[in-house]
Amino acid sequence: MKRTVGEMLVRSGIRLPLFLWSLAVLYPIFWMFLGAFKTNAEIYANPWGFPEQFNFDNFVTAWTDYNIDTSVFNSLIVTAVGAILCLVLAIPTAYALERIRFKGSQLLFTLYISAMMIPMVLGWIPLFFLLAQFNLLDNIFGLAIVYAISQLPFTIFVLTSFMGTIPKSLEESAAIDGMSPYGVLWKIVTPLTMSGIITVTIMNAIQFWNEYFMALIFLQSSENYTLALAIDFISNEAQYTNAWGVLFASLVFAIVPVIILYSIFQRRITKGMTEGAIKG
Amino acid sequence: MVQSKKQKYLFLAFCLIPTFIMFSIFTLYPLFSGLYYSFFEWSGASQTREFVGFDNYTRLFNDGIIPATIWHDYFLVITKVIGIMIMALFIAVALTQLKIKEAPFYRIIFFFPNIMSVVVIGILWTFIYNPNLGLVNSGLEAIGLENWTRPWLGSETWALPSLVLPSIWAGIGLFMLLLMGGIANISKSNYEAARIDGANEWQQFWHVTLPLIWPQIKISILYIVITTLNGSFIIVQVMTGGGPNNSTHVMGSYLYQQAFNQYNFGYGATIGVMILVISLITVILLQFLLRREKVEY
Repeated sequence: MKRTVGEMLVRSGIRLPLFLWSLAVLYPIFWMFLGAFKTNAEIYANPWGFPEQFNFDNFVTAWTDYNIDTSVFNSLIVTAVGAILCLVLAIPTAYALERIRFKGSQLLFTLYISAMMIPMVLGWIPLFFLLAQFNLLDNIFGLAIVYAISQLPFTIFVLTSFMGTIPKSLEESAAIDGMSPYGVLWKIVTPLTMSGIITVTIMNAIQFWNEYFMALIFLQSSENYTLALAIDFISNEAQYTNAWGVLFASLVFAIVPVIILYSIFQRRITKGMTEGAIKG
Repeated sequence: MVQSKKQKYLFLAFCLIPTFIMFSIFTLYPLFSGLYYSFFEWSGASQTREFVGFDNYTRLFNDGIIPATIWHDYFLVITKVIGIMIMALFIAVALTQLKIKEAPFYRIIFFFPNIMSVVVIGILWTFIYNPNLGLVNSGLEAIGLENWTRPWLGSETWALPSLVLPSIWAGIGLFMLLLMGGIANISKSNYEAARIDGANEWQQFWHVTLPLIWPQIKISILYIVITTLNGSFIIVQVMTGGGPNNSTHVMGSYLYQQAFNQYNFGYGATIGVMILVISLITVILLQFLLRREKVEY
């Protein structure tokens, strides 16, 4: 009996920090949502409590007066183009590295993988001038290309490990039936790797949607701002404009798609990220 | 596969070359060219680029802010490694060893900040630290510690330590999962053997769990160090911009300021080379330090 009491004490002693940390994670996020429904007066008077009534004015103001509509659209384009381009470039390379024996295959794989560990900040200065030469500076498609290439090593890495699990016999029999290697890649390997493709694409999309620093360097005019940049801008101006409610509303715009993706694909995202970290 | 050599190489070229060209243009070329730029004095306009040899490097060694930025980076590295590893290890053990029925809920919640945008995290925490409205100061007042309240991010002493908590808050989830994966792979018989030998739970943790998840711990530490040295400037940029009075500048944010605010692109590239060298040396040293015989029972 005494022992079980002691055990219960230990257990609650361990449960309490877990509970407190979950509050520490959830409350700021929850509070951000509440803030989006408050008027400025309420934010000052009662910063951490519930709003008296939920009004959507902040969302409307952010959307219409603070160009959030344009930046949501820009972020969607950058995310979609970046994710698709990354796949188009990564799938054939991942397949060749995983399945075809050729000289230098290991070297090429190592080159891509080690790029995951290199601080890219050194490359951003020349990249800035390179994009300017290609007329891709201050251009969301230029940013999408940069994003796609930045996630290329990670994508290749994840896809090769997924392709390694496909039995070779399927490809071999398709080749015997006269299918070209291009056909095998497109009609056999790609569908069979779909699970890996979906996992890596969700992770890339979240990455691109959230990204801030490269956007800060490579975009300049406000009509090209992605959501992260637009929010940063509103935040920096807020000390003069006092548009705190608008700031919270735009943070909500930024986080809701991530919450939705996470609630649908939670397992894929966590698995993909832990595996990426283990090898990377 | 039945096909000629020529066809095979054509297919190989189709698979590899376009990707490699893009990778070379947007990753390899900028890295090497960054190295090259570090030997020039350059304000951005192409006519004014002037070869200056090692002048930028001399300037780097005489720049009083540089040692501070390196120290700030390492301060973040050390505090993050300690904070994240202790908390992630505690959570991972608690969620796997004790049969808590709400464990999956905690797992999902604790991971979420890992996929939040740095901008969102930074702005949220700027509010939490806000001197008048913020949670930290209101909390301290509520428990009667008024004289502990301070303008956290506005104080030269406290701004840098204040950046640690958001980084830990946002980082724990991934390492919790990594360690949980390691613990799940430990076979039950190890614990049974330890129990028969009379080991209590604490001894079991110390002599069974910890040595057997050493590979995961090592990977986690390396990963935290690399991501911090290569990316700490992002949260710095969002939350303090390097201020007040340079007290939170890390190497990357100083590079950004030199290159993209003050248009010293050559000097910025030199700082970039320094970041590359420092992060490579750190990783190699760390791998050497963390070497430990693989334990098998």
